[in-house]
Amino acid sequence: MTVPSAFDRRTLLKGAGVSLALPFLESRRAIAGLMPQKPPVRMGFMYMPHGVIMDQFWPTSPETFLDSPPPAIESLRPVLNQCLMMKGISGVPISPFNGAPHALELSTWLTATLPDADTRSRINIAISADQIMANYVGAETLLPSLELATMPQTWKENQEGLHEAYYSHCSYRSPTQPVPAETDPRNVLNRLFGRQENVGTVTRTNPLDRQMLDRVLNGARDLRRTLGRTDQLKLDEYLDSVRAVERRIAAIEQRQQEAAFEKAGVRTANSGNSPAIEIRIPEGEKRSEYMQVMCDLTVLAFQTDTTRVSTYIGSTPNGVSYPELGFTNQHHSQTHHENREEMVSKVAAITKFNIDQFAYMVNKMASLQEGDGTLLDNCIMVWGSGLEDGNRHTRANLPFIVAGGGGGSLNTGRFLPDVSGNQGDLLTTLLSCAGVPQDRPIGIATKEISEIKA
Amino acid sequence: MRLPDTLSLLYSTLTSFAVAFTVSVTPPAGADEIPAAEAALQQEARTTFKEQVTPFVKKYCTRCHGSRPEAGINLDSALKDPGTTSAFQHFQKAVANVKVHDMPPQDAEQIPSQEERDQFVQAISKLKYMAPRDPGPFVMRRLNKVEYANTLHALYGVDRSVTESLPEEVGGEGYLNSISPLQSELYLEIANKVVQQVVSKDCNRPTRRQLQLFGSSPTRCDDPRHMARETARSLAREAYRRPATEAELDVLVDVFDLGTENQLDYTQAISLMWKAILVSPQFLFITPAAQPETQDSIIPLDDYQLASRLSYLLWSAPPDTQLAALADQGQLHHPEVLNAQIQRLLDDDRSRALYDGFGKQWLGVGGLDSQLFDPEIFPQMSPQLRAAMVAEPRLFFQSVVRDNESIFALLDSNYTFVNQPLAELYGLDHCIQGLQMRRVTLRNPNRGGILSMPATLASTSFSTRTSPVKRGVWVLEQILGERVPPPPPDVPELEEQEQASREGLTLRQLTALHQSEETCANCHRILDPIGFGMENFDAIGRWREQDELGVAIDSAGQLPTGEEFSSPAELKRVLAGRREDVARNLTTRLLAWAIGRQLEGYDEVIVDQLMLKIAADDYRVRTMIAEVISSYLFTHRRVKS
Repeated sequence: MTVPSAFDRRTLLKGAGVSLALPFLESRRAIAGLMPQKPPVRMGFMYMPHGVIMDQFWPTSPETFLDSPPPAIESLRPVLNQCLMMKGISGVPISPFNGAPHALELSTWLTATLPDADTRSRINIAISADQIMANYVGAETLLPSLELATMPQTWKENQEGLHEAYYSHCSYRSPTQPVPAETDPRNVLNRLFGRQENVGTVTRTNPLDRQMLDRVLNGARDLRRTLGRTDQLKLDEYLDSVRAVERRIAAIEQRQQEAAFEKAGVRTANSGNSPAIEIRIPEGEKRSEYMQVMCDLTVLAFQTDTTRVSTYIGSTPNGVSYPELGFTNQHHSQTHHENREEMVSKVAAITKFNIDQFAYMVNKMASLQEGDGTLLDNCIMVWGSGLEDGNRHTRANLPFIVAGGGGGSLNTGRFLPDVSGNQGDLLTTLLSCAGVPQDRPIGIATKEISEIKA
Repeated sequence: MRLPDTLSLLYSTLTSFAVAFTVSVTPPAGADEIPAAEAALQQEARTTFKEQVTPFVKKYCTRCHGSRPEAGINLDSALKDPGTTSAFQHFQKAVANVKVHDMPPQDAEQIPSQEERDQFVQAISKLKYMAPRDPGPFVMRRLNKVEYANTLHALYGVDRSVTESLPEEVGGEGYLNSISPLQSELYLEIANKVVQQVVSKDCNRPTRRQLQLFGSSPTRCDDPRHMARETARSLAREAYRRPATEAELDVLVDVFDLGTENQLDYTQAISLMWKAILVSPQFLFITPAAQPETQDSIIPLDDYQLASRLSYLLWSAPPDTQLAALADQGQLHHPEVLNAQIQRLLDDDRSRALYDGFGKQWLGVGGLDSQLFDPEIFPQMSPQLRAAMVAEPRLFFQSVVRDNESIFALLDSNYTFVNQPLAELYGLDHCIQGLQMRRVTLRNPNRGGILSMPATLASTSFSTRTSPVKRGVWVLEQILGERVPPPPPDVPELEEQEQASREGLTLRQLTALHQSEETCANCHRILDPIGFGMENFDAIGRWREQDELGVAIDSAGQLPTGEEFSSPAELKRVLAGRREDVARNLTTRLLAWAIGRQLEGYDEVIVDQLMLKIAADDYRVRTMIAEVISSYLFTHRRVKS
């Protein structure tokens, strides 16, 4: 028996959205009869573990940043004037979990918070920056946020008694609710743009599904009353997630209606100037192809305003190798290089490889027109790692690259050699650039890093 | 036995009097009652704690680990409230460090004698008696991906691949019992697919499965709503793994009505109702049948929950008809009935799930499918060989369980399962041909058992060579159940040296560098010698006499407790002398897997009790499994804190 799937392995899709014409943004404004307004700001995160080779990553000086960027970010050269690097962003101090640098580099990355020490064997941390933004802007789009990963999040390693999932998750919907990531590009494609019409298939936008879910929710509320306290909290997660699905179905219905309008000829002159994005589902095991299709999907999701928040765990802190680079050693083992030349060069190659994929995504965004500028002008794309030096597990200057204009909110094309702040400060600042109001700072944040703002 | 009403009233009045009376002198009766033997141990532990732990900690530890806790270890508060979980964790870490002489640091003013250290370690092992009797919280659990797929397959005959779009997850200890919008959305999508696959589009030609699930369509004289309700009742009994309440059926009939109000025909409306069942929390989670009317904070699982917990543990699948019937009759919790069911489930092929879930994770071989080996160094690592390496420990584990061998047969045995590629790796010159795995007798005492199995040897290696350190940690943690303290902060692990950069040094000499740095030495003195005793096996588990550089392997090894060995055969002999540790470790791990959380405090008291019973039956593996399942921790839950 086969599962009907619109997207076979070798299929090459153009513009993938197909019936949902691109770009969506303009058409919706046209329907609303509004004058073109400022496009929304989108925010994307991409992660690599284990830190960088510092002298290959940090620019030598602010003056030379644009003309001779460091080797690690060479592939960003075409968009360097829309990039921002800053040194002096420190990580959350990880004591009392000193023996768990790798479990914490990822889980603290977007939370800027340590897991609660007394309940360490369960997940209890904090809502992450991407989910804070999704809560604020998610209702505007088909998907509140997109979470992607290259590897399944199944690594089990217990460090310092911490729950194993801290090793592989960075997005948290609430302190106790990690958000799992999609690892299959076909699923992402289906989720973003729905299956192509198959005769006889019941699609997820079955008109009665929403009302059916509504009744299931009512039943679940009855069940809730009969449960003990801890079970009630668990059921609340269920209620929350089903409500999100209901909202999503509503959004899909809305969009189908708008697509019908569009077919009827309601279109703006702006649409169609950008080339369609090709989505190629990779066939082999090549990591670069795999990561690039995930990047393409992110670009497409942003371009079509299907979501405004994306988090891509490009790699996790465990057993990852890069045979494509000509060696089989695991990333982690090479980062403990003790300055031995061969290992240093392997780590440098792995870092460059990861930044290359980020650059692939960002360069593509710069090639897509949106309004009077490009898609990248309206994005805040963040690449980073949860350690500075993987050899010694230091976190004094976390490596971050910010790319994109953030809708004019960021002052880019610069290297700031000496900002003083922490990862919470940076996340708080970036959310503020994206126009997300915050009722409290993120994690250990105490301020905004005003130097990076326009 | 049923008493006449008046008598029963009198009886209950009397008992409540009796309870009220005893409460004033002993701890509360009922499920929370502490057996007398445990109470005595608790008293003794309090005394030991006061006389031995407190002075030691005050003298050697609290200067740094006091109210301003170094490394987050606060022994001041742990002294004040030793029965709590966090105190237990802090003391566990302290013990691990005190044992290996890592603490107090060497520049401390006072250093305890070996005797003092031993006494401290011994006294902390009694800490468990101070924890309150408690099976721990049993939060209703969501089916994991494998269980969910098996459930859809078992109940509706659909292919398990229908669930492939769900994120991968891991079971047991560390299982993420949460649910996200992504998962909920996929559950709905999968429910749609299940309906599509089972329900015929042609209303005149229903599928066999459809008839079985939905019954026949109503005729003119039938009441469709009544029929829908009865269909809901039978669908929900299976899907919810317990009878649905009338209120739950109301909700489902309401969905049926939604369908008919929107001009769906009977079958379509039933399908919509079925879909509602498939996305309901009662299906996706294991939920209790009803909240019992009790003031007790700890209660036994109801039989339906017990049936689910049991069958998902041993089969990763829902209770079958026999289990369901026993739950309906309220029989399952009787010890002899429960044990007979455990044996029946273990006899069934579906119990392979116990290896696929628990066994694989215990042995740490779950990553072998995708682990990289340098093709230049290990050209023989073909997909066929890899598949055989992955299958071998499973077949072996299943065989030990099927034949109810002793736990120690897992460590040392005179047989295994191979096919042609694996036989070649073993160097067996029999005429074993083809890819079919078969049982063979092993005559080489260095082979047999999980310590010398290619799957475990390869899983603890790097892509280019062996790692004595990883193998040492594996033996200590996975086999003996010791806690190896993590490397200190900011000290790089000396994991993979490049041969070129340290020309002429053997792996042993290179690894010995660990011991030249003081921060590393304490632990590596313990870890490395174990791994070196296994150096005759290369990174994919072949026997060798020389290393990559052509230097003869020096396989002298030693356990932390001093026992020496120089071959896997001798290591097995040495471990045979640690039977209790080996058995306790496996039992502890299975228990943690079964209840889905780390063990702590009071749990250790329960393990003590299990170990006595398991030892009394010569450590048979089925006895161990049955004791874990029948244990207080598995069969009870706390409903109030």
